Amino acid sequence: MIRQPNEIIEKEKKIRILIAGYPGIGKSTLALSAPNPLHIDVDFGIDRIEPRYRKPFIQPQSYEEILEDLTPNNVKDFDTLVFDTGGKLINLMSLWAIKKDPKYGQRDGTLSLKGYGFVGKEFVRLMDYCFYELNKHIVMVFHAIEEKDGDNTRLRIKVEGQTKNNVWEPMDLGGFMEIYGNDRTIGFSNCERYFAKGTRGIKGVWKIPELTPSTPNDFLTRLFEQYNALAAQEIAETQKEQEAYEAAIAKGQEIIASIVDVESANAAIPKMKAITHALTSKQEINVAFNAKIAELGLVYDKTLKKYIPAQAQEDAKGAK
Amino acid sequence: MERYLMTHSLLSAWLYAMKENPYEDMTTEKDSYAEFLSALKREPIPVSEAMQKGIDFENLVTDIVRGGGDKTHYWYEAAYKVAGIVKGGLLQYSTSREITVRNRRILLYGRLDALKAGTIYDIKYSGSYDVGKYIDSTQHPTYFELVPEAKYFTYLVSNGTNVWPETYRRDETPSIIPVIEDFFDWLDLQGLTNLYKEKWLAL
Repeated sequence: MIRQPNEIIEKEKKIRILIAGYPGIGKSTLALSAPNPLHIDVDFGIDRIEPRYRKPFIQPQSYEEILEDLTPNNVKDFDTLVFDTGGKLINLMSLWAIKKDPKYGQRDGTLSLKGYGFVGKEFVRLMDYCFYELNKHIVMVFHAIEEKDGDNTRLRIKVEGQTKNNVWEPMDLGGFMEIYGNDRTIGFSNCERYFAKGTRGIKGVWKIPELTPSTPNDFLTRLFEQYNALAAQEIAETQKEQEAYEAAIAKGQEIIASIVDVESANAAIPKMKAITHALTSKQEINVAFNAKIAELGLVYDKTLKKYIPAQAQEDAKGAK
Repeated sequence: MERYLMTHSLLSAWLYAMKENPYEDMTTEKDSYAEFLSALKREPIPVSEAMQKGIDFENLVTDIVRGGGDKTHYWYEAAYKVAGIVKGGLLQYSTSREITVRNRRILLYGRLDALKAGTIYDIKYSGSYDVGKYIDSTQHPTYFELVPEAKYFTYLVSNGTNVWPETYRRDETPSIIPVIEDFFDWLDLQGLTNLYKEKWLAL
């Protein structure tokens, strides 16, 4: 069934988020604040989480075990799958890939270039399966490491090889957790410290409320709700802007198509000026208009304030 | 009052020269300061192998957009993905915009690989890529200044096999103006302002 963009029901949208930060900053606890999560504790780190914030979990020893566990029936009672950590998940995936085909590995047990490519694709496939087929929110936790980049120190997610680029691909949001004074924060906008990912109006640095015995651990649940609310708002705004852009482009193309000679070119001037532009329609239409004028061999005479044949201008120059 | 051209490449060459101080390590093969001076003098740059690959990849994308392209080319699949994104937009669009910096009339100039529906696209061929590679680039801040209507800037990075889009929003991108101001201050201090004015005078 073909549907129109304004028919997107954003309330139903599941969210894929990457959370990165230093060890001990509280990434797992934050990840478990997502709606009704299953904790896929690849890191075997559940004992480091305060008991009251722990959630149902699995501790897979191999990637095969994860694939066996993540069936529609097994996860039907959960809304979110928390992979903790993504780095360890990729390690298990790497071992599985090398076992599957030795060409994906090197003699020292690490992945070969082909292996990195294969694991990257498998990561994206797993995310697609969890998101589209299992219809779950996904929280992917990564340790962050510091890297020197000239004069700057940057935070990056801790993943081996080129897989780190595939990791970002399916994510709707990606945030880095940091501590400022006594506050824990998560940043979703690119800045000199890190490259993050914010979409649908989720941007900037968010303060993570301190957890007390009386406060629920629900930061991500509320963030997801806000994401969907902002998404609906942004879609409405973008839709309006996009429609105005498309109308301007269509109008411009119609005017340009009507230009066949010098008279119609001059007749088009006020029509072109009357177009109500949106986004970059003005630049795009003007280039097409100028190309048509050049194709017809016309030039703009600044004195007469109209288009004339280029030959006429040459003749006039010659006469002088 | 005369106007002077400014491009992101010149700013980029300057920042690179400032970052990698050639006098710290005399064994450095690449003299970034000499490269910057060459850029300031607008000397032609010899096309390196990496640059040629970038040109070839972009040409393949353009050919595909125009309905052609060698389907047996080993970059075809990646170039096809990029072509699908930029198709319908303005390709190789040169534009300029006058701004005033430190009381100087500056004509910012740039050549956009593609412009479509509020997004500027830049096609990059790169043998190695890490997410966030272009975070410090002067290109998206300069181009946002050049096209005030654009809301997003997306680098379409490919190694010939994969394509990694890297997007920056206008509201998270720092202005390029302070960088240009610092550049002018530095030129003044170094006594290079006259050379800049001579070589970058806009006609």
